[in-house]
Amino acid sequence: MPKSLFIDPNEVLRPQEHEIQFPKIPVMEYSKSVKDELAAGNFTKEDLKHIYRDMFVIREFETMLNLVKTTGGYNGVAYNNPGPAHLSAGQEAAAVGMAYTLDTNDFIFGSHRSHGEILAKGLRSIEILPEAELKKVMEDFWGGATVAVAGKGFQGSTKELGIRFLLYGAMAEIFARTTGFNKGLGGSMHTFFTPFGIYPNNAIVGGSGAIAVGAALYKKVNRKKGIVVANLGDGAMARGPVLEGMTFASMDQFKTLWEGDMKGGLPVLINVMDNQYAMGGQTRGETMGYTFPARLGAGFNPEAWHAERVDGYNPLAVIDAFRRKKALLEKKEGPCLLDVVTYRYSGHSPSDQSSYRTKEEMEAWQAEDCILAFGRRLMEAGVATQADLDAIQAYVKDVIFEMYKLAIDETVSPRMDLVKDNELLGDMMFSNGSVDSLGDAKPEVNHPLEENPRVKQIAGKCRFYKDENGNAVSKMKMYNIKDGLFEAIVDRFYKDSSLVAYGEENREWGGAFAVYRGLTEALPYHRLFNSPIAEAAIIGTAIGYAMCGGRVIPEIMYCDFLGCCGDEIFNQLPKWQAMSGNILKMPVVVRVSVGSKYGAQHSQDWTSLCTHIPGLKVVFPVTPYDAKGLMNSALQGTDPVIFFESQRIYDKGEEFHEGGVPEGYYEIPLGEPDVKRAGKDVTFLTIGATLYRALQAADELKEKFGLEAEVIDARTLVPFNYEKVVESVKKTGRIIIAGDASARGSYLNDLAANITDLCFDYLDAAPVVLGSRNWITPSHELESAFFPQPGWFLDAIHEKMMPLPGYVPVSNQTCAQQILRSKKGV
Amino acid sequence: MANVVIMPKQGQSVESCIISEFKVKVGDTVKVGDILFGYETDKATFEEESKVEGTVLAIFWADGDEIPVLQNVMVIGNPGESFEEFRPKAEKGTPSETSGHPRPDKREGPAAEGSGRGRSEAEAVSEGVPFAAVENAGAPVSPRARFMALQKGVNTAQVAGSGPGGRIIARDVEAAALAQGHLTGLAKARMAEGGVVSPGAGSGLAGSVRGADLKVWKPSHTEGLPGEGTEYEVVKMSNMRKLIAKSMYNSLQNSAQLTHMLGADATRVQALRKKAKKALEEGRIDVNITINDFVCFAVIKALKQFPNLNSHCLGDAMRLFKAVNLGLAVDTERGLMVPAVPHACELDIIGLAKALKKVAEDSKKGSVNPDLLSPEAASFTVSNLGGFGVEWFTPIINVPQSAILGVGTIVPRPKLVEGKYEFVPYMGLSLTYDHRAIDGGEATRFLKKVAEEIENLEVEL
Repeated sequence: MPKSLFIDPNEVLRPQEHEIQFPKIPVMEYSKSVKDELAAGNFTKEDLKHIYRDMFVIREFETMLNLVKTTGGYNGVAYNNPGPAHLSAGQEAAAVGMAYTLDTNDFIFGSHRSHGEILAKGLRSIEILPEAELKKVMEDFWGGATVAVAGKGFQGSTKELGIRFLLYGAMAEIFARTTGFNKGLGGSMHTFFTPFGIYPNNAIVGGSGAIAVGAALYKKVNRKKGIVVANLGDGAMARGPVLEGMTFASMDQFKTLWEGDMKGGLPVLINVMDNQYAMGGQTRGETMGYTFPARLGAGFNPEAWHAERVDGYNPLAVIDAFRRKKALLEKKEGPCLLDVVTYRYSGHSPSDQSSYRTKEEMEAWQAEDCILAFGRRLMEAGVATQADLDAIQAYVKDVIFEMYKLAIDETVSPRMDLVKDNELLGDMMFSNGSVDSLGDAKPEVNHPLEENPRVKQIAGKCRFYKDENGNAVSKMKMYNIKDGLFEAIVDRFYKDSSLVAYGEENREWGGAFAVYRGLTEALPYHRLFNSPIAEAAIIGTAIGYAMCGGRVIPEIMYCDFLGCCGDEIFNQLPKWQAMSGNILKMPVVVRVSVGSKYGAQHSQDWTSLCTHIPGLKVVFPVTPYDAKGLMNSALQGTDPVIFFESQRIYDKGEEFHEGGVPEGYYEIPLGEPDVKRAGKDVTFLTIGATLYRALQAADELKEKFGLEAEVIDARTLVPFNYEKVVESVKKTGRIIIAGDASARGSYLNDLAANITDLCFDYLDAAPVVLGSRNWITPSHELESAFFPQPGWFLDAIHEKMMPLPGYVPVSNQTCAQQILRSKKGV
Repeated sequence: MANVVIMPKQGQSVESCIISEFKVKVGDTVKVGDILFGYETDKATFEEESKVEGTVLAIFWADGDEIPVLQNVMVIGNPGESFEEFRPKAEKGTPSETSGHPRPDKREGPAAEGSGRGRSEAEAVSEGVPFAAVENAGAPVSPRARFMALQKGVNTAQVAGSGPGGRIIARDVEAAALAQGHLTGLAKARMAEGGVVSPGAGSGLAGSVRGADLKVWKPSHTEGLPGEGTEYEVVKMSNMRKLIAKSMYNSLQNSAQLTHMLGADATRVQALRKKAKKALEEGRIDVNITINDFVCFAVIKALKQFPNLNSHCLGDAMRLFKAVNLGLAVDTERGLMVPAVPHACELDIIGLAKALKKVAEDSKKGSVNPDLLSPEAASFTVSNLGGFGVEWFTPIINVPQSAILGVGTIVPRPKLVEGKYEFVPYMGLSLTYDHRAIDGGEATRFLKKVAEEIENLEVEL
């Protein structure tokens, strides 16, 4: 909501135009012949033959996989491939046409059905890369392990070696071999190879929709060459993340508010491989209403995304369209949308019997087969003879068969031995890097840090909750959690040029909770901006941004909105580091604010949902010292961190760290819980703002019963070092684990189970979990019955650990009640 | 300067004493000679007088606490003087180890009252949870309590659980450990096997309970009893009573006792008694020699010929005494006491009579040397109930001694004298002996010898 944009009621209420004009969206306009193209000098004969070759490579590759899946072998050599194979036979012209205009600076993202796209992009990269560069790429990859297998004894050209390398690397990946492009950890649906500009394919339909937009954002903000293409299916156009990603890419601010060379559209092209089917559903006439996916462009911006529907059965038509769209993108007039007509010969997967379509339909399309047709056109134009084409096919078949035999050979293409070395994959889940800056440029800022109004304001604050005379500091004068977060974040903005932050109301407002107040003044638009209210796009784009090498802080305003970006948080963010074989890093710090007072859809603590998903680090600091130190660590790292904050305590001062919050930079390692108060009789381990209620309970316990509670703040949930907790429980023999997440299925139970394992002989009672009730969060006035209260701690001690003399419980923490509630499912 | 008052060492074998009652409280001013506190050993009570003048600054213990001898008990000085440096430190092997620190006197000052601050957890919440008072086998035990019980040698079957649902939790074991004192490794192992109970303080270093000190345990059931009813009242046993109870019970449980009874013609001793009385009246001797003195004199003579009877039975060994250290059962107001007369065999009848008199009187006054009260001090005991008209009884051995002789009253019994029945005075002799140590034949021969000695006693008067 920048003030520079005046919403003029005169204009809004009394517009000049009284209808919305849509630009025309061309459909199948390309009509050139091969001869026309040759005459125009758009291709050489060799180029055209390579196009034919590349299409046939894809066809034979998919045929090989189909035979392996359906007959258990290829050319008489048996192999069992139990994994998926979503084949793209029939779509070769669309893939090769897509890749033809792209170089290695141009990135493609794909879907579950992207073998064709990666082969096309790989073959094109091999074609255009200088030989020395190509050689270096192959030799550097996995220390030359992949090329060593693919090129053993091979005496041919570097380009031909490149083709062997590409085919072998892809096959080995699909067959889960360590020599595969992603060490066999990605597989068929996630194979990719970044040195050729091939970025992850995605097994979640439409998963690349927002990620590719984030990659484009990275290119723009960091002034990197190239465009980004998201290859999606016609079915994916129904997916929220695609539509949210397109919304994000359509933002007016790129053209209205971003300044200087940053002004202009994102270099992203959504390329719809319109193969007519979404699983078994027909997008045209059955499951969608757009008739042509190209129509969608009209809904997003006045340029209708420069949408066009092109003939994906003719590679030259696709190339023609890509040339024009790429030029638009390079002129910052993007984004663009292409709807490439094609047809999927195989079923969704080899197990799909295509019961939803007729034999006649399939035969009709096969009669139009893109490879046959293109071969005929080449012969008509005198580019190639049948013998030439036959020779190409024979070469392709030979190479694929040779690479197939290598890829299934255990001796040269081994799999990871996760039984023998069963920590191997575990050690790949996080990159655990420590990097000051991921950007190579000088960070763009608006003024020196010391001139920043927020920095000046903080300078006048007391960094401990009591002043030097021991008097309480007023709220206005007290350095609080917001200040701690701000200091860490602004520090990183001044260190790392790649760092960007965005979310709903991140700029002028300073974030809904004013953590970013002062950042607006410090940063240009392209480093801090408001996003559309599209959580899937906020996180999805951040993933794409980080994949390409940037650091990013997306913000989710309320924890409750995590569900809106469920796939991005649970399926994308945590997976790519390991799934890439550790090629990708994922330096994304997702700030998530946990609410209260606002009822059932704005007051939930969903930390547990995040801890459940392997591959995420989960942090929840509740003091200014911890907030700053943990944010510094999160931002110094290279892993995805879900950084929870509590709205209850944003203005809390530092009550624990002697000397207050240091002014300089410091890190608190993720994973170390902190003893906030020492005690000997019982341990309270808390997650989040529950800490302060636990301390109140500890006070009451001491005052009334002379018992001393040791209060430990978990601070980080993943990773988590149990050593301090074990040490404490060995001393006290009792532990209450408390947090604001609803108790059932929460991480609190996970902690309890592990502590029981680790401290069994030292326990005087089973660990007690105090979570919120398994209800909706009621309104603020009723919250005390829902969230763990100080009294609940004493109740739990009295009922389940050691009866306190004369104590009258305030809540029902008995085992009988536990059973009763569980029976009712609450 | 503040003066520290320590727990006096009453005799060589005494390792700890129990405070029966503090007579002063923190803040009181005391003069020299004022009674500070009463304390008792196994069988004697003492009072500690103040040797200085001043204000009571600190009391480190509470009534009923068992305190190692020479340990600091309280501090007397001028108000404001520091005393913390005198607070007993938790030492390894002292009973205070189990609670983490010595119990501060609950009357010490306002800070110690009410709020429960500074009290250890076990004390703070387990008052009224007696140790070893209940049969609790099968009660749930927390893993920590179980582990702690193993380490401290507490048998959880003897512990009442104060946790949820009667679960035995750490504080219960802590309290039990405190009550049973410091156990040696062997004692812990025996405790873990079950069936025994610690006497609280033992014969080891600093009052450590050794394996040999353990008593057979049988649960009593006072806990379940209602308090005062219309039909009866429940009265707690005194410490003295509890000690006697334990030692008697232990004696019967841990040895194989049986009693032989045999009469002795008392004509001779009655004559000697008459003679002695006359000698006393005439001033030829200065001690009243009683029938019992003559019997003891005869017993000593018999014992000299039966070394197996003048012994301690140690289970797998015998301790055979070269001298006769004669124990004498004495009925006192506080209960039964058995002081010993060491080397009684070296005394003539007059010396013996005097020595017996002295230990009996000292016992009644409570001033007897505690060393003489130890069951280990005597090699054989005589218990005389003749004065009360008891003819025969079954005395209980003062373990580890091997035997005890019960002396009954003298009654006329018919006896065939030169073909004619006459009434002669007969004295009942009841010998209880430990069959582990002595067989029936030997015991019988010994008892017969005692009778012979009594019947033929020769003394110079």
